[in-house]
Amino acid sequence: MMDTGLILHTGAFGLIVIGIAGIVLSSHLIRIIFGIALLEAGANLLLLLATWHEGTSAPIIVDGHIPAVMADPVPQALVLTAIVIGVGILALALSLALRIQQAWGTLDIREIRQRMEEEIADTAGVDLPSSPHAPKPFPPVAAKQEGRS
Amino acid sequence: MNNLALMIALPLIAAFLLPVINRVSSLAARWTGPLVVLVTSVIGIMAWTQLGANAVAIELGGFRPPLGITLYADQLAVLFAIAVSVGTLLLWPDDGEDRIRQSTLTLILAASGSGLALSGDLFNIYVLYELVAVVSYGLVASKGTPGSLAATMRYLIVSAFGAALALTGIALVYQATGTLNLAQLSQLAPTHLNNMQGLAAFVLMLVGFGVKAELFPVNTWVPEVYATAPARVSGLLAGVVSKLALLIIVRLLVLVFHQPEALQIMLVLGILGVVTGELAAWRARDFNRMLAFSSIGQLGIMFIAFSIPGQAGIFAGLAVALHHLLVKPAMFLLAERWGGSLAKLAGVAHSSPLGAALFILLALSLIGVPPLPGFWAKLLVMINLMAQESSLYTLGAWIIMGGAALEANYLFRVAGSFYHRADGQTPPAAHRPRDLATAALLGATLAVGMFVIMPLAEQLEGVADQAADRDHYVQTVNPEALP
Repeated sequence: MMDTGLILHTGAFGLIVIGIAGIVLSSHLIRIIFGIALLEAGANLLLLLATWHEGTSAPIIVDGHIPAVMADPVPQALVLTAIVIGVGILALALSLALRIQQAWGTLDIREIRQRMEEEIADTAGVDLPSSPHAPKPFPPVAAKQEGRS
Repeated sequence: MNNLALMIALPLIAAFLLPVINRVSSLAARWTGPLVVLVTSVIGIMAWTQLGANAVAIELGGFRPPLGITLYADQLAVLFAIAVSVGTLLLWPDDGEDRIRQSTLTLILAASGSGLALSGDLFNIYVLYELVAVVSYGLVASKGTPGSLAATMRYLIVSAFGAALALTGIALVYQATGTLNLAQLSQLAPTHLNNMQGLAAFVLMLVGFGVKAELFPVNTWVPEVYATAPARVSGLLAGVVSKLALLIIVRLLVLVFHQPEALQIMLVLGILGVVTGELAAWRARDFNRMLAFSSIGQLGIMFIAFSIPGQAGIFAGLAVALHHLLVKPAMFLLAERWGGSLAKLAGVAHSSPLGAALFILLALSLIGVPPLPGFWAKLLVMINLMAQESSLYTLGAWIIMGGAALEANYLFRVAGSFYHRADGQTPPAAHRPRDLATAALLGATLAVGMFVIMPLAEQLEGVADQAADRDHYVQTVNPEALP
């Protein structure tokens, strides 16, 4: 029989792995942002599980009655803070993605990177750093924009 | 001494009052920020003068550790808190239409940065680290061009990834010990964290906090951000914020993680940082990117230095860190007008002799030419590396030497081109007086440091001694802890 702790721990590590995979393997910006959200959720769950035991009750004294086994309130307070921070960063990331989409009409991280490199090289007045083995650049933005928005 | 908490509280209060003050009087709003940071600098310096060999622990709200939140002020922490205040004061954003917004962000950066230096609690460190990160996104994106937004986005992805890894590491530590107070962790570490779980937690936190410290695999954001952000912000990130992240890692190493593997991992990543950073800087064709890559290389040297066990490593690492703290912001201030292709800088010494002279002084110290302070810092690292038995440390020493040779090559190449004849080129715009004055002030500090190098070294050794003393930390935070 599976015990709840094992399932929860597996879930936490699973979320972390899925999140990292999402960040590393995806090329779509929104998927990467979802990856960050999943990774944060996994880390938060792991923090909650750090002192978790089955059958504990909230550490609240009601009518002078002290619960026999109390849950550790510290990780819960910490996770609350971490969730708030995570939501803030998520909102910031989505608003940045929106601005980038408005400017360049794309959410593909490779294309964004290439355009950014072009802009940096352009402002600096130098050639793009490249090598003969570099992958082929993306087609100009005008050709791609149709059918997207 | 308790007023050290004001170094965190004052800028935070001012930051959130600033938009209100701006409604009443824009002149007052303009001066509030610098004034507050000036006050916190003075508080820090006064605390430094009172602080002797004994560190001070401040219990916020009167709650005793481990339940309460402690601030731990030893000379190292106060030194970096002063660096944050003085750094933000010197690099204060004073131009542009969204000055108030940027001032607010810079004030929060000052508050969270001081907090990061003084914090004695792992979770506070995490929260303040995130605060520094969020504020830096806003500052980095302040130019508002699509390129700078894209660079910020990519910076945010790496940074959020790192923060989540650090949080995972913190969760592992909490699971093993049930506390996040650094002093208590230090007592429990030998029995609870001296295993694979402890090592995993350290690696997660090293990579997580290493994002801001430009650690080797997680530094992809550095060249992009420093090329698109305003030069002042780049100077602040490269000069001050990276050292704060480094400070956290050093504290963790001293207090909690004593596995030899931990030091070795850091050493290897540092070596890779020096190799990649210096090679990329050598190849760079524009000024900002050259500075960005060279800063990766310099941070690599710091990681190598801090991986030397014991007090010697902290001493050597601190010397390099403080030297870089002076040099890199000054160089970025020069980059404010000189940013762009290195070819455009040919003959620039004719139009801006002071700027060129300053750059050469800074470059010489960065390479490590005697008798400039940079030489003594690097010499200290080399001596201590060679004193180690492991051949990996010797490799580190050779890599630093090779890196210095590369640095000399690309920096001399640039400095040499300053004195070429400018054939029909329009020289870049003259530096703003404030930028040049600040850079000159930092350069002058460097030059003065050259003459008082021995007393400085003695002072710094004291700081390192205190920082390396684990029992002193535990005893200060919790006097009943040790027999």
